Amino acid sequence: MALTLTCPVCGKRNGYEFRYGGEDKGPRPAEKGLTPRSWCDYVHMNKCVAGIQKEWWYHKDGCGSWFTTHRDTVRNLEVNEPEAPK
Amino acid sequence: MNRLNHLPTLRINPSEKRSLTYRGKSYWGFAGDTVATALFANGVRVFGRSLKYHRPRGLYSLDGECSNTCMQVDGIPNVRTENTPLKEGMRVKGQNVKGSAQFDWMGFMDKLDWLMPAGFYYRTMHKPAAVWPIAMKQVRKAAGLGTLSPDFEMKGLFDEIYPTADICVIGGGVAGMRAALAAAESGLRIILLEARPHLGGCFDYRVSPYNDDKKLYERARELADQVRQKDNIRVFTHTSMVGAYNNNLITAFQVGKEQDEFDERYIEIRAVSVVVATGCIERPLLFEHNEKPGVMQVGCAHRLAHTYGLLPGEQAVFSVGHDLGLEAAVDLFDLGLKIPCVADIRKDGQDPRLLMALVERRIPLLNGWVAAKVHGGKQVKKVTLTTVEGTVRRMIPCDLLVASAGLTPVNGPLTLAHAKLVYDSHTGYFLPTDLPEKMFAAGRMTGRNHPLSIEASGRLAGLQAAASYGVNNKTALAEAETALSGLPGPERGCKLVTAPVKGRKTFICFDEDTTVKNIKQAIDMGFDVPELIKRFTSAGTGPGQGGIPGHNLPLYVAQYTASTTPPKPTTVRPPLVPTFLATYAGTNHDMCKRTPVHDAQVKAGGIFRRIGVWQRARYFSGDFDCREDILNVRNNVGLLDASTLGKFRIHGPEALKALQRVYVSDMSKIKEGRIKYSAMCNDDGCVIDDGVVVKTGENDYYFTTSTGRACVTVEWIRYHTRFDGWDFHLVNLTDAMGVVNISGPNARKVLEKVADADVSNVAFPFAGYREFTVKGLIPVRAMRLGFVGELSYELHIPSSWMPAIWDILEEAGREFGIRNFGVEAQNVLRMEKGHIILGQESEQRTNLLDLGLGFLWDRTKNEAKTVGAVALRQAEADPGRLTLVGIQMEDNARAPKDGSIIVDDRVRGYVCTARKSFTTGEAVGMALVESQLSDIGARLDIFEDECNGRLLYARVVSMPFYDPEGQRMKI
Repeated sequence: MALTLTCPVCGKRNGYEFRYGGEDKGPRPAEKGLTPRSWCDYVHMNKCVAGIQKEWWYHKDGCGSWFTTHRDTVRNLEVNEPEAPK
Repeated sequence: MNRLNHLPTLRINPSEKRSLTYRGKSYWGFAGDTVATALFANGVRVFGRSLKYHRPRGLYSLDGECSNTCMQVDGIPNVRTENTPLKEGMRVKGQNVKGSAQFDWMGFMDKLDWLMPAGFYYRTMHKPAAVWPIAMKQVRKAAGLGTLSPDFEMKGLFDEIYPTADICVIGGGVAGMRAALAAAESGLRIILLEARPHLGGCFDYRVSPYNDDKKLYERARELADQVRQKDNIRVFTHTSMVGAYNNNLITAFQVGKEQDEFDERYIEIRAVSVVVATGCIERPLLFEHNEKPGVMQVGCAHRLAHTYGLLPGEQAVFSVGHDLGLEAAVDLFDLGLKIPCVADIRKDGQDPRLLMALVERRIPLLNGWVAAKVHGGKQVKKVTLTTVEGTVRRMIPCDLLVASAGLTPVNGPLTLAHAKLVYDSHTGYFLPTDLPEKMFAAGRMTGRNHPLSIEASGRLAGLQAAASYGVNNKTALAEAETALSGLPGPERGCKLVTAPVKGRKTFICFDEDTTVKNIKQAIDMGFDVPELIKRFTSAGTGPGQGGIPGHNLPLYVAQYTASTTPPKPTTVRPPLVPTFLATYAGTNHDMCKRTPVHDAQVKAGGIFRRIGVWQRARYFSGDFDCREDILNVRNNVGLLDASTLGKFRIHGPEALKALQRVYVSDMSKIKEGRIKYSAMCNDDGCVIDDGVVVKTGENDYYFTTSTGRACVTVEWIRYHTRFDGWDFHLVNLTDAMGVVNISGPNARKVLEKVADADVSNVAFPFAGYREFTVKGLIPVRAMRLGFVGELSYELHIPSSWMPAIWDILEEAGREFGIRNFGVEAQNVLRMEKGHIILGQESEQRTNLLDLGLGFLWDRTKNEAKTVGAVALRQAEADPGRLTLVGIQMEDNARAPKDGSIIVDDRVRGYVCTARKSFTTGEAVGMALVESQLSDIGARLDIFEDECNGRLLYARVVSMPFYDPEGQRMKI
């Protein structure tokens, strides 16, 4: 409940205003060639990172936009995008 | 009792009386009093009895750190009367007493302490096993706090607010006020919390000089005025901080003043930076009978006089370990208290000016002495003083013993924020070593006691907080640091925990009646860590939330075990102070919506039920089978309010792509002037929604969803198109539009009279969509549907026109005998037609194919990546699924309850909806059963709730049960 999130439209807001939309897994795969397992993996399997992950949030009590942000799942705080490892 | 009305520090208003009743008598207090001070003014000294031993208890700290003054107020038990403001007409009762607080028949329990060593409740009375239930009953009868009557109902208004702040300052003493003022200089928004009803902290009641022309209390009020004049400081008084969470989220509870609308309110503050300046409480002095009425802490005695105008006794002995004690002695002497002597635990290090003042008043000071025991029945009569080593003793008569071992910081807020506390051997305090990010501590809790140091540390913390917020105040910060370093630093504190006594009646925890002897017993039994001793002896687990034993316990354990490792405080947890569950619960959150024609349906006798967020008329008479209403729709015409349906507009060049993504059908085939029924699935192919879509223009669609999905449809569509960046707009029209359903063979006759368009079967056929006006004015979007299986029009109208069109239709239909029908009648009507309602004929795992709606699914639109399509393709090959079937009872007398399970040797499915149909005379319904049982003619055993093993039997039949050719809705 201590979470705050930065909505691209409304700015930094109380975490209560948002709904979690899951880890960012990329766009929906094309239907051709999908096996039951690969589809199930896309829909249901998560990485559950202990650390920083990119995820989707919906500003339900605000502008109604879906956006991605980075969150430290250990401290439950929104953080900046980590620099890519060199 | 006469009040000291002339004191300038008073916080009561002697011109405003407040009455209260206690033990059948009426008493007076004043505005500004607490319940306890008003009772004290009226001669009450024993406020309650202790948990186990029924020992008399009186005023001790005035800040609610113990349950001594817990009483029942206006039916609410365990009210800490010492910090509950007095309101007119309060009814006060003692608690945990047989008789009264003064004369308690259970008082003999105090003599039985030898029967109750540490942990006796866990260790005895369970052998033989039969003893325990009897013993437990007796123990629970004899011990405890207040009781709540079973029919008790909490009255009052419990509010909640969620403010944000740039900086939150916890503690409204001078350090907190200086911090707030310093941070406010840069224009930040500050919230200042103070637990007492007024700002000022430990300066508020003291008349010692602050500087040459001001006294301490004058300085406090000056600062309070400055705080009040700042528009960007929001002050919450009588607000106890109860929780701190990461990201600097602070929770607190505010007690309402007389003029406030709320009784108590929950405050959740989202701050960027936090300053903690919660100051100190007194560390209780441990000696024999240290909680007898007549023993009180320095601040309690001092504030009784200066804040409430009450002299705490007549003749008082002081046993203190801190300069505040000497100051109080001098001050109370000047107000008329007789002081035979002051015992100071410290042998040296006192403020010379205070020593001088004592000499001037001829108050003898005993350095290195401490109280060892007080004597007296229900109140102090004499006190035995002894040297700290216990070598010499002296007995002095008195009616008040002001006792305090020293000070200890209120560092609960820091612990909650996960700061590490380490014992500091100079101050004797537990001090934070690593404060969390953007959190700062200031004031007395850091060990500083000089008034100027307190203020300077407050100012510095305020500036640090502002800097951590992002304000550039380097110069001011450097100046504040220099200023503080030039002032006296943390002072040496008194380390003595207990007087030289054995401790049989030395109470380390008042709330749980835990004595020093109990602690020793626990240690001797092998418990060596304060956390475990706390649990075993229950010290610190009472309503005071560990206020009294909090720091004494670890210090005593370290001392008794001669531990070489420094003591560690026990963990504190939110809420830091006791709070009402009612405040947590808040006001009524069960807010619901009413449709635009709610009032008209109330007038028509509607019986309403909650459906989702809505109130809907379920019945229109006491006949919950709705026979008349149903038959009226079948044979005549009925009117239904369906305004709760979700209604949306989607438009834009790529609106169709979005519809193709979420609806299973091929939405490109929607024809203008026609409605399209379709369903939405989730990624598992399970049906989540169904409704109709119409095309209202180029790239412009209007669609309905079920009532329960209205609130998440926008989210759903945007979620499943979030990677695509398509150009479309979604508008939720659920509240903007109302819906009237007019159904029955005479529906057209009614509509014809009012519509400005040809509504004949040729001009407006089944499954058609038309836009026209009613009475030349009201714009209507009309759909011809067949949900209830009759000629039926669904009219979508702007909400503001709804009451008007409702009246117009009722008026037009009067000659045909139009009448309202409710949700239950609709439920039966559509069930007879085999039409599903999602959530009733489906649950979370029910997919499109299970419901027999596979025909809706267009398999050719792979490019659309339709939500659910992949899973549906996989589910087609899955034999182990449930199938929706029609059932008919073998005994047509009645239908089983909805939700009854279908069994053989295991559960094979369940009945979704079943009713006795008035139209066909049969008991029919729909059920989800395993596919092996879904053949026509299969026999189903139905196990109904509370059927006592008497099963009901049904056969699978074909649907629909009524008008299988569907002629009636097309007439």
